[in-house]
Amino acid sequence: MKPFIFALLLFGAFGGVATAAPSATEILYASDAIRNPSKPFSVTVTLTEFQNGKQVDTSTLTSYSRLQQQGGQFASLVRFIAPARDAGKLILKNGNDMWFYDPTNKASVRLSPQQRLLGQASNGDVATVNLAKDYKPSLAAEEEVQDGERKMRKAYKLALIAVSPDVTYATIDLWVDAENNRPIKGRFYAESSRLLKTVYYRKFQSQLGVQRPTESVIIDGLNPQSVTLMRFSDYVARNIPDTWMQRDFLPRFQPE
Amino acid sequence: MRKPQYLASLTTLACALVGTCLPVHAQDEALDLESAPVEKVEKPANTKLFFEAAVGSASQRYQPGSVDTQRGSLDWVYSGRVSPSLRAVFSNRTDIINPAMPGSDSTINSLREAYISWQPDGGDTVVDLGRINLRNGPSYGYNPTDFFRDGSLRLVTSADPFALRQNRLGSVMLRAQRLWNGGSVSAALSPKLADAPSGDGWNADLGSTNNRDRALLTLGTQFSQTLNTQVMLYQESGLNPTVGFNMTALLSDAAVAHMEWTYGNEPDLLNRTLSRTNTTSNQSRFAGGLTYTTLGKTSITAEYQYNGFALDAAGWSALGPAPTQRLAYLQQSLRLQELAPRQAYLIYVSQKGMGLKDLDLTAYLRVNGQDDSKLAWLELRHHWPSFDMTFQLQHNIGNSNTEFGVLPESRNMQVLGTYYF
Repeated sequence: MKPFIFALLLFGAFGGVATAAPSATEILYASDAIRNPSKPFSVTVTLTEFQNGKQVDTSTLTSYSRLQQQGGQFASLVRFIAPARDAGKLILKNGNDMWFYDPTNKASVRLSPQQRLLGQASNGDVATVNLAKDYKPSLAAEEEVQDGERKMRKAYKLALIAVSPDVTYATIDLWVDAENNRPIKGRFYAESSRLLKTVYYRKFQSQLGVQRPTESVIIDGLNPQSVTLMRFSDYVARNIPDTWMQRDFLPRFQPE
Repeated sequence: MRKPQYLASLTTLACALVGTCLPVHAQDEALDLESAPVEKVEKPANTKLFFEAAVGSASQRYQPGSVDTQRGSLDWVYSGRVSPSLRAVFSNRTDIINPAMPGSDSTINSLREAYISWQPDGGDTVVDLGRINLRNGPSYGYNPTDFFRDGSLRLVTSADPFALRQNRLGSVMLRAQRLWNGGSVSAALSPKLADAPSGDGWNADLGSTNNRDRALLTLGTQFSQTLNTQVMLYQESGLNPTVGFNMTALLSDAAVAHMEWTYGNEPDLLNRTLSRTNTTSNQSRFAGGLTYTTLGKTSITAEYQYNGFALDAAGWSALGPAPTQRLAYLQQSLRLQELAPRQAYLIYVSQKGMGLKDLDLTAYLRVNGQDDSKLAWLELRHHWPSFDMTFQLQHNIGNSNTEFGVLPESRNMQVLGTYYF
């Protein structure tokens, strides 16, 4: 690991000790390191959908992610576990190389970013993504903000502007805890400035050696009555080779 | 703490006008939500099992009235590790149909896959042996580079091209694949094991899938995050090699292009129908199209299809006015999963959450490029946690001397219930 990154991670762990005000980039790096393990890992994600406060759907998937050597962004292979109808289906996201694979008909279908947004797996975009890689941050404010557990926190508000052409969200407002660099809340916007999602990161627990959010509350920007809870469990560090992250591997995928 | 109702309403109004903020009361309500307690986190299952029942009615062209149809199907897939580097795969489907197809049993078992897969050292090298459903080609309605498609369907239960691929038989083969970062190469050897297809419902039907020696070499390359290709070399006993190429490309945030092409020397479709396999010619096959997805969750695919081995308009007319020869030709093209006319067009539409969150629409229109006859197909599917209810409608449109107008069934409706265990 490069000394610079190491220093930033240290900052993430002991951010409150630092005397000089951190830069927006440093805060964003540290916050990314809390959301995402730096080594390849798998995590089980349980998604619960609500409409008007009522639970309408639930699904479970396992995400296998690794930081790609080329590009520095996460690549993820998502396997559906439940409901039974969708069990075994796969979604691969490696930058803009996105595929859907259905083992029952052996079909690998290339997805456009817009097509992928139709499915629940797209909520992974707000979970496993290295924001520092694709966005230029600036410190917009230091303010008190309510976190996902309804506590007021002193936070840095970062304004993120996309520098990579192939990202889903053009701009993001991200609130990061000023004490420990934990992500508190994010607002994700389309190019038209329309709010697409609001996300709260909450229920921090020790996972793979770091206090990480184990639940995200995702509120649809167009229909705030549509809410998805993403619960993260069973983080496991594992060997995930680069070669997994391509179409030709999808029919071969059998990790367990 | 909740805001007074009038304040919340004002906030909602302001947000609606500006379009960039979230009403505070909605935010508070969202943070109150807790997922239902989970007894245990779901684990991946090795087995997938579902039962499907269908009742339908098929309007007849050559006899009055309609024929009622019934079907029950049990579909079972197992895929599990037998040792750290060895995996066993078994996939089977049993259909009981009424009325039975002419010359076939009413119970038809399709042993789709039964193979072992050896995958040492993290999976970069894979060797498979057994009956394998090897499928290639990104096109929706016609796949020239899907070299192992012919003879693989024991029973057609739906006109949906994706469902056809789901129900097909694999071929017995030895397959090896080597993957690297950004590509792979694979070789498949499929020997002749039987002479002819079997009408026995419980027969493994190797005569449909392994009636000649075949080999396929495939080189897959990911040129960039937006472009994937496969180059293929296919050889079967008694014929010259066929070359194949397919690709997919991401054109924009919403558009994906696909194409596939093959070129080879073999008997044309009519000569195959008449078992005149000594007469061959050099021809190409092609399918290419574009899929566009709207913000309204609708995906639309337009595809052009070409088969140089199929009859052109003059050849179709030369079959004569009686339907017998034409139906035999179409039957053969269905068995081989070939395009019957020289040119065709396909529009394929799918819409998620049509009016209701769990209601999906899928529909397509296939147009014969020579006689303008059409096949229109529509499916409405509603999901519940373990159960799907589906309505399907197929309409074959055209006059009696056209591809879809000559088919015995003019319209087919069915209602299906599917339970997933």
